[in-house]
Amino acid sequence: MLTPIWQAALMAFSLAVAAYFVLFNGSQILMGLVSGLFIGNYVRTRTRRDVALTARVAAAPFVSVIVPAHNEALTIVESVRALLALDYEPREIVVVNDGSSDDTLVVLQGAFHLLAAPVAFAQPLPSETVRGIYRSMDEPALVVIDKANGGKADAINAGINAAAGALVLTIDADTIIDPAALRRAVLPFLEDPATVGVGGYIAIANGCRMQSGRITAVMLPRSWLARFQVVEYMRTFLLFRVACGSLNALTLISGAFGLFRRDAMIAVGGFDRTAIGEDMDVTVRLHAYYRARRQPYRIVFDPSPLCSTQVPEDWASLRSQRLRWRRGLLQVLWRRRRMIGNPRCGLVGIGALPYVIFFEGVGPLFEIAGYAITAAAAITGLLDWTTFGLLIAVSVLFGVAATLVAVFLNDVVTRRYMGGSDLVLLVVAAILENCGYRQLNSWWSSVGTVRTMTGRGEWGLMKRRVFEGQKTPV
Amino acid sequence: MSSIDASLFDFHRFAIQTAWLGVFLALLNAAAVVVERALFACNEARRRRIDRRYEPVARRALDGDEAAVEQLANSPRRHRIAIAWMLVRPLYDDRDRQRVARARTIFQAMSLVEVADRWVNSCWWPRRALAVRALGLFQIENRTAAIVAALDDDHAEVRAAALDSIADLGDPQAVMAVVVRLHDESLHRGRRFAAIAAFGPEIEPSLLEMAGVDAANRLNYARALRICGTARSLPTLSLWTLDPDVKVRAAAFEALGHIGLDRHAAPLALEGLEADDVTVRAMAAYALHDWAGPGNIAVQLAQHLDDRWPVAVQAASSLKTMRDGGVAALQAAASRPDLAGELARQTLWEMAARC
Repeated sequence: MLTPIWQAALMAFSLAVAAYFVLFNGSQILMGLVSGLFIGNYVRTRTRRDVALTARVAAAPFVSVIVPAHNEALTIVESVRALLALDYEPREIVVVNDGSSDDTLVVLQGAFHLLAAPVAFAQPLPSETVRGIYRSMDEPALVVIDKANGGKADAINAGINAAAGALVLTIDADTIIDPAALRRAVLPFLEDPATVGVGGYIAIANGCRMQSGRITAVMLPRSWLARFQVVEYMRTFLLFRVACGSLNALTLISGAFGLFRRDAMIAVGGFDRTAIGEDMDVTVRLHAYYRARRQPYRIVFDPSPLCSTQVPEDWASLRSQRLRWRRGLLQVLWRRRRMIGNPRCGLVGIGALPYVIFFEGVGPLFEIAGYAITAAAAITGLLDWTTFGLLIAVSVLFGVAATLVAVFLNDVVTRRYMGGSDLVLLVVAAILENCGYRQLNSWWSSVGTVRTMTGRGEWGLMKRRVFEGQKTPV
Repeated sequence: MSSIDASLFDFHRFAIQTAWLGVFLALLNAAAVVVERALFACNEARRRRIDRRYEPVARRALDGDEAAVEQLANSPRRHRIAIAWMLVRPLYDDRDRQRVARARTIFQAMSLVEVADRWVNSCWWPRRALAVRALGLFQIENRTAAIVAALDDDHAEVRAAALDSIADLGDPQAVMAVVVRLHDESLHRGRRFAAIAAFGPEIEPSLLEMAGVDAANRLNYARALRICGTARSLPTLSLWTLDPDVKVRAAAFEALGHIGLDRHAAPLALEGLEADDVTVRAMAAYALHDWAGPGNIAVQLAQHLDDRWPVAVQAASSLKTMRDGGVAALQAAASRPDLAGELARQTLWEMAARC
């Protein structure tokens, strides 16, 4: 029989777990309100005319789109064709072949008639040896850099070195960019010269119909695993990131789409080649750099879907992706620990990073411990099943409420998935996602934490799927 | 024991209340999603209905059919804003004077000018912004003062709308309002320069006049002259290339490069190549592009191929435009083993590829 003290401790722990769920999801709902205010203003102000502003200004900023490619032979040609069709001028596409062992360079040479060209550029950022530079005879805006393998961050650094643009857009080779994305993303730079970076909402491409590297019809994915990620992405981007972005405290410009001022990237030393979460690392370093120098700066988040990406539809790929994200997060938090709670770092230091460390760093461990201990206590009769059921109910209901706020904001800002059946599927996904998927993610986060602490971890590969209307996987 | 039981009871009660709060929030948010979607669908259906009903009429009215104009003028008041949107949308891209004039006639016939006049003073900013935009897009006469006054509105979006509207209006009376606010950071930066670009060289005399009395904001005037300057600005810009502020010097060289140098300005650009500031040197190199005048300027420019990178790039770019003199200088530099040689080879390759 448990002593009264232990029983009281168990009750206190259960109370703390319930409070955690309320606090976490309540904070997400509150952030939804902040995001709602921002999005309401955004929807009114970002009209078609605003998006066309880049065509009216005398000198729209030159944008270099940097595409790091490692073993992307199957998809790279279609990706580059889609980028060349971007509705923005002036721009150049810099593809960095990061030591691919497949035919990435060969297919590019064949498709775009590449010729080895002397290209001179200063190399302010460190990168592996550049083996050759190619220019296209068909597409003057295309530059291909062939370099020794050094990882994604290294490839982007090589691209930034060679970029001719005042702005550099870093994307993944499989990112599907909206044709108007650049015109939208450039706007904050035109509004305010202090803008150093712009991130965007990454939509999910699974289930969508594709043609020539572009999405022609937006549809919900068929698999429930991808649908869970649809609502999960909505929550991540439209609650936390929009709220942080509106307060100039954005901690992550996703690697799938990030537009930066080139001089700012060079000033902070580019992407850290040893970082696993290089996108979060560089975003936080930008904050640190400008805060330390007391220079005005702005890192903006655009809530409209600027691009889409494919998410894993099998458990193994998802697991390896989440473990990698976890390692990246913990590494950045550890490296930038001096910023956490530091009032000199402004809202990033006293708001965003502590939030990340509490709810994303420690939260999953606490959540898993909460489930495990209360379930064990209920099974052994130390805790009554009603209390356990109430804990689970609080966790699920508040989670569903927060997710539905994100669905609401997604409706307002993107108008994606507007069919009647889509609504039903989204609501069902919002409920089911909180009944297993979210807990599984917390479990993987806990495993990732242990692996990071013990120095184990692997990169992992993602199985890609074929889109509707497409022959090869993108 | 009893205190623990009481605490347990309290915890149960708290957990039940929290769960009910969760149910309430989830249902509330689900209802918000459904209601928002329903409202959106209703609005869209209404818009489509109005479009279907009035689009053919609006098209006929824009083609000059008086009966169609009459029909639109007699449309129900509740449909008029939607009809105005129908007229406004094509005007964003098509600023053909006749089309604007016909759209204006319809706008006036529907008594929407009075609505816009009312909305300009509305306490709700989206209405003010919409009204200011409409007045500019339809080029409504005698509304310049109202639009210019909107440049000082409390809301940034209304101020931005006023800048767009001034650009659309094309009224020379509004030019000065933009010029004197060129350095007003409360106004949208991109739009300030887009408005200048919309007026083009027409704005140049006012800019030069203002620049003469407002030396503190010379940088902005130089940037504006880069957009709309002509040969008339060359003496002023040449003078500014000697300004103590390096930003002004760089901007003046950039504007000179945009306009094209004359034989008085070219030696100044050469002098600028020896400046201490990198940006000034880079812009001086840029200013020399297309130079075909006397003097062996290409050789002097080629010496800057091993200057700091921004200068070297601009020097190579200018040499590319200097025909035979530029090619000879680049070929001479191409044999160098350093970055300058690589840059010269790249430039020659690009010239050959273009051929």
